[in-house]
Amino acid sequence: MKNNIRVERAIKEITQAELAAQVGVSRQTINSIESNKYIPSALLALKIARVFGKAVEEIFHLENSDL
Amino acid sequence: MRTNYLFPFNSRYVGIGLILLHIPIKFLWDALYPGDHHQPQPPSAGGSFLVSPPHLFFIGTTLMVLIGLFLIAFSRERIEDEQIIQLRLDSLRWAIYLNYAILLFSLLFTDGGESDHILLLNIWLPLLFFILRFQWVLYRLNRSAASNDADTRL
Repeated sequence: MKNNIRVERAIKEITQAELAAQVGVSRQTINSIESNKYIPSALLALKIARVFGKAVEEIFHLENSDL
Repeated sequence: MRTNYLFPFNSRYVGIGLILLHIPIKFLWDALYPGDHHQPQPPSAGGSFLVSPPHLFFIGTTLMVLIGLFLIAFSRERIEDEQIIQLRLDSLRWAIYLNYAILLFSLLFTDGGESDHILLLNIWLPLLFFILRFQWVLYRLNRSAASNDADTRL
C-alpha cells in the first residue's frame, strides 16, 4: 500500500512531528508510513485522512501486489 | 479503550537498579560463603532445605533479577503507539521461538542431570532475548527515521 502523506503534509505545511502529535503516534511511525515500511491500522489511516480533510482513498492507495 | 498491561515508562529504571543491586549482593555472599550454591545443600538437623540460607539467597537474588528483567521488558515506551506494539509482539514471538528451540535441543542432547541448568536458562533467556531484540529494532527504527530526515534535507 502506498500513500501520499508527504505531499499532503507539504500542502498543509505541517511537519512529521506535528502530524504525529495530531494523530497520537510517534514521529518515527509517521516516518515509517511515509517510507512505506509500515502499513497503518484502519483507525490510524482514518485519523490521518481526517487531519488532511480528505477521504482515506485519497491518501492511501492499494498496489497490484496487495490485490 | 486500549489496555496493554504494561508498566509505566520509569519502571525500567527500577528494573535496571534491581539488576545492578544484585551484583554486589552476589559478590558479598560469595565472599562470605564460598562454594557452589546452585547445588542443593543437605538440610541441617531439624531444618528444611526450603528455609536454608543458600536457598533463600538463591530465591532472593533470582527474584531481584527476574523482576528487574520484567520491568525492563514490559515498561511502556514514551509513545506506545501501534508500530511499537507490533515490534514488541514480533520480538516476543522471536523470543518464544528461540527459547523453545534451545529447550528442545537441550532435551534431545542432554541427560536428566542437566535439567537444573536448563530450567535456569529458561528463566532468563526469553526475557533477555526479548529485551535485546526489541531494543535493537527500536534503535534501527530511530536510525532509519534520522537517515530519512537527512535525505529529505538534501
